[in-house]
Amino acid sequence: MNVSKVGQLMASLSLTVFVVVFSWNISYADGKGIFASKNCGSCHQIQGPAAEKTFEDQQKKKGPELWYAGSKFKKEWLGEWLANPTAIRLLKYNSVTEKNTEKHPALSKKEADEVADYLMMLTAKEVPVGAVTEAVNPQGKNMFQKKYGCVGCHSIKAGAQKVGGVSGPDLSDAGKRLKGDWVYAYLKEPKVFKPVKRMPIFVSIINDNEMKTLAGFVAAQK
Amino acid sequence: MIMIRKMFLIAVFSVGILAFTGKGTAFAVSAEENYKFYCTQCHGMDGKGEGANAKPKVVGIDLPEMSVTPRNHTSPEDMNKLTDIDIENAISGGGAAVSKSTIMPPWGKTLTEAEIKDLTAYLRKLCKCKGK
Ligand code: HEC
Ligand code: HEC
Ligand code: HEC
Repeated sequence: MNVSKVGQLMASLSLTVFVVVFSWNISYADGKGIFASKNCGSCHQIQGPAAEKTFEDQQKKKGPELWYAGSKFKKEWLGEWLANPTAIRLLKYNSVTEKNTEKHPALSKKEADEVADYLMMLTAKEVPVGAVTEAVNPQGKNMFQKKYGCVGCHSIKAGAQKVGGVSGPDLSDAGKRLKGDWVYAYLKEPKVFKPVKRMPIFVSIINDNEMKTLAGFVAAQK
Repeated sequence: MIMIRKMFLIAVFSVGILAFTGKGTAFAVSAEENYKFYCTQCHGMDGKGEGANAKPKVVGIDLPEMSVTPRNHTSPEDMNKLTDIDIENAISGGGAAVSKSTIMPPWGKTLTEAEIKDLTAYLRKLCKCKGK
């Protein structure tokens, strides 16, 4: 191979890299632009850390935080949900007495994918990537349903039926939506992700190994 | 200069650590506010044990009733069976701590001891009873 051939190869390689990075950047930038132009930020916090300190701070919020969306959600789900949103919280946000009947703003499939690209960039360093194995396991099920009573506030599938409480987000298909590593971090670092919430703090009630097993079980519900 | 910066960082860090490990709500709340925020999910707005988690159909959600009925906090018959210490233990450690259903969750890492005592007094007002 002579020098000019190598040069050509290098040039085309770097062009490819450039085009890939550039177009990905456009998609990211477009997603950010769409998020801004659709006013999504009026209901969703996209910059950490968590700011709420009192019940009132939480009650004033109009939607869940998205500043760690990239650590929390599975990307495929995110793109699909944004184009075709369905209720995740069965009760209205911040309510314990009213059913959630609100229609979440929907995006076109193209916009949804671009916004998903953007949101997936928002990650939190507190989520230990690869800590949890997502798998249905009898220990996790026992903890969820019996030992720690998660089912009192969260619905889940039990055979063909759906059972459980409604004040926490529906977890019956959490495995499509949530990353196991994030569920673990959420249990382990309650103050980082959601300092004021109706869910009890389980740190030092559930030990670290159990938390991982439980998180793996939750993130395998489909 | 570097020394001062180091000390400053250590100070910031320790305040941070304290803020993160300190249990309980970091702001002053009345027992009634705590009850409304946490307990009503299951025990209901009026304390009768008919919150949305216990009876989803009442709020229009098609899910079966909770397998155990949350205690009716307004019932003197039921609440008289418990001493104040029983109530504190149930709130702090959940059903598991008092040989009851684990659907009653543990609040000992969420609320301070003082808040749990205040809630116990609040429950006594709801049942208008003193306990055994
Ligand atoms: C009027 C307030 C409001 C606006 C505007 C809004 N959202 Fe939401 N969003 C909510 C609420 C409330 C929920 C919870 C819905 C549920 O649980 O069913 C939610 C849920 C979400 C979720 C899932 C979060 C989670 O933790 O489950 C995502 C992602 C999201 N919104 C993105 C967006 C995007 C992107 C836009 C702009 C196109 C947007 N939202 C506009 C209120 C809003
Ligand atoms: C007393 C009710 C209650 C109990 C018990 C409870 N949770 Fe929750 N949980 C909630 C509520 C309410 C939220 C939503 C917090 C918010 O975003 O405001 C939540 C949020 C979550 C989330 C995040 C879901 C999301 O999409 O943002 C996970 C995961 C979770 N809970 C798992 C568990 C597990 C595992 C247990 C048992 C160890 C448990 N919960 C016990 C009420 C409860
Ligand atoms: C996830 C649902 C749920 C939440 C939230 C909840 N409880 Fe309960 N609670 C129950 C259930 C169910 C029982 C009945 C347990 C049984 O009979 O085995 C119960 C029982 C009790 C009892 C009686 C215990 C006994 O020994 O008989 C007390 C006291 C109590 N709850 C106080 C509270 C307080 C205070 C709060 C809020 C800080 C609270 N509960 C939040 C579900 C809940």
